Amino acid sequence: MHQYAARRLLLFVPSLLGASLLIFVLLRLVPGDIAEIIVYQAGAESASVQKRQVQEIRAELGLDRPIAVQYLVWLGNALQGDFGHSYIQQRPVTEIVRERFPRSLELASLTLVVAVVWAVPLGVISAVRQNTWADYAVRVVSISGLSLPIFFTGVLILWALVRFFRWLPPLEFVSFLDDPVENLKQLAFPTLAQAYYISAPIMRLTRSQMLEVVRQDYVRTARAKGLAERAVVYRHALSNSLLPVVTFVGWWGGRLLGGIVIMEIIFAVPGMGTALVQAVSNRDYPTVQAIVFVMALVFLTLNLVVDLVYGWLDPRIRYA
Amino acid sequence: MPDATGHVGAGVEAALAGAGQARGARPGLGEQLRWFVVRQPLGAAGAVVVLALVLTAIFAPALAPHGPKDTAFAPYVPPGAEFLMGTDHLGRDMLSRVVWGARLSLYVGITSVLFGVTVGALWGIVTAYFGGVSDSASQRVVDSLMALPPIILALALMAALGQSITNVIIALAVLLLPTAARTMRSVVLSIKEIPYVEAARAAGASEWRVIFRHVTPNTLATYIVMFTVNIAYAIVVEAALSFLGLGAPPDEPSWGGMLTAGTQALETAPWMIFFPGLAISLTVFGLNLLGDSIRDLTDPRLRGGLG
Repeated sequence: MHQYAARRLLLFVPSLLGASLLIFVLLRLVPGDIAEIIVYQAGAESASVQKRQVQEIRAELGLDRPIAVQYLVWLGNALQGDFGHSYIQQRPVTEIVRERFPRSLELASLTLVVAVVWAVPLGVISAVRQNTWADYAVRVVSISGLSLPIFFTGVLILWALVRFFRWLPPLEFVSFLDDPVENLKQLAFPTLAQAYYISAPIMRLTRSQMLEVVRQDYVRTARAKGLAERAVVYRHALSNSLLPVVTFVGWWGGRLLGGIVIMEIIFAVPGMGTALVQAVSNRDYPTVQAIVFVMALVFLTLNLVVDLVYGWLDPRIRYA
Repeated sequence: MPDATGHVGAGVEAALAGAGQARGARPGLGEQLRWFVVRQPLGAAGAVVVLALVLTAIFAPALAPHGPKDTAFAPYVPPGAEFLMGTDHLGRDMLSRVVWGARLSLYVGITSVLFGVTVGALWGIVTAYFGGVSDSASQRVVDSLMALPPIILALALMAALGQSITNVIIALAVLLLPTAARTMRSVVLSIKEIPYVEAARAAGASEWRVIFRHVTPNTLATYIVMFTVNIAYAIVVEAALSFLGLGAPPDEPSWGGMLTAGTQALETAPWMIFFPGLAISLTVFGLNLLGDSIRDLTDPRLRGGLG
């Protein structure tokens, strides 16, 4: 296990460096002078002020130096938690990330928990009662969840809320620490919308895994020794449905993060996704770079954890 | 697929094969089509949807009653006899925009997949064939591209490239590159161990001749599957980018962009979200059904591969 973990960890660092280099080079390929773009986007100062700002930004980003040096300087600062300055928002990018990251993390975790809590039992029911109306109902719900693009489901839910409950996305975000009830109220709908979407693959994976497991010898043994059906299903068979959930996060981790961006936009949650979309449309490059870097870090960490958990749950993988 | 369809399909296949042998010829096109419909009923349903989409895209100028950017009408007219899908906030005919949206979606979907999957596939074939340093170097590039969640990578690309339909296509192609390269690489790694490749080399064929005449033709099934499966994906991501306001420019008839405009007028004009949303959902549903059945038909081992 240690060896497997070490090998897996060794892949993490080059991927992260590669991704950050890629984004860095990409954003330097922008046609035109990046410093001028930033200044003109930022606003309505006089021409002389703008000229001075251009000089300042050039100096800060080190645009006169070779790109390799620029990258190393940026990386060095980033690893110390300094992502530069957002000229649009007039504050350090690190501050933006620190403010937004916990909100997106909360939304993502809630989504995953809610999806698992309802999808796994439904998947189990669907497998245990294979080819009954309950099975068909679960499968129809999960297939319809997969076919509707997540932004359409999100907009439909928003429409229903506005139309029937006069609910509008709140203008102010309330943090969990300040007011847990208000905070959960704000995040409830984006959570449910995305949980519906991602519960489909979890249900399907759980169902197919359970169908396989209930035919195994050890389940028959458990029944033969006289265990109640409930104990057979939950204690013996279900423990194996942990794996599909882990598989799901491995497969769909990227879509989960992409979905968070879309949910944040629809339901006006000021998280990393909203910040990224704003930064992209404002051409606020230091912020784009930082958020993409953090997202890559999260995504890679997620994959790393999934692989380690998998190796831990299933010894065959460690030695492959 | 449930067992029942499998058995029916096998029976029909045998029957058709028998009929073909009796006449000493391959089954005709009509028979092949019938075989596909019986064997893959869901795939056939998907094919009908996709055909409707393609026809709509091709004949958009004839089908759309008005121009997609025509702002000559009253805004927020509900669906009715004059405007079947109503009009939007700028007084454009929604039906015309949805119809032209099919053309835009399909154009973006097909071109981006054509570029992304083709370049990625060739990249995977060549690096896997030669192996060694170029292979491991290219694998690190693939790792780096795959380290970024797809939508995030697309957003970063749009930030660098600027907003236009061509740039959406480029961004989508880049998104598809790494998976295509990796899938093709694994296919070629097994193909190049097959004796006929060695035979070709022993017969004195040059490396490039072996690659293009002997290895590449055998990757065709994988290529076709990647192609069909990813068109739906590309269409959804285009719509998502346009929905976020960073894909096609707002006046273009993109289904995703129409949805965004609709969210600004949820109460006054809900038809602005229903029709484009349904169009995307139906398209994706049809393409997925068709893609799945093509995948099942060509190679059962690919089940659960590219998503």
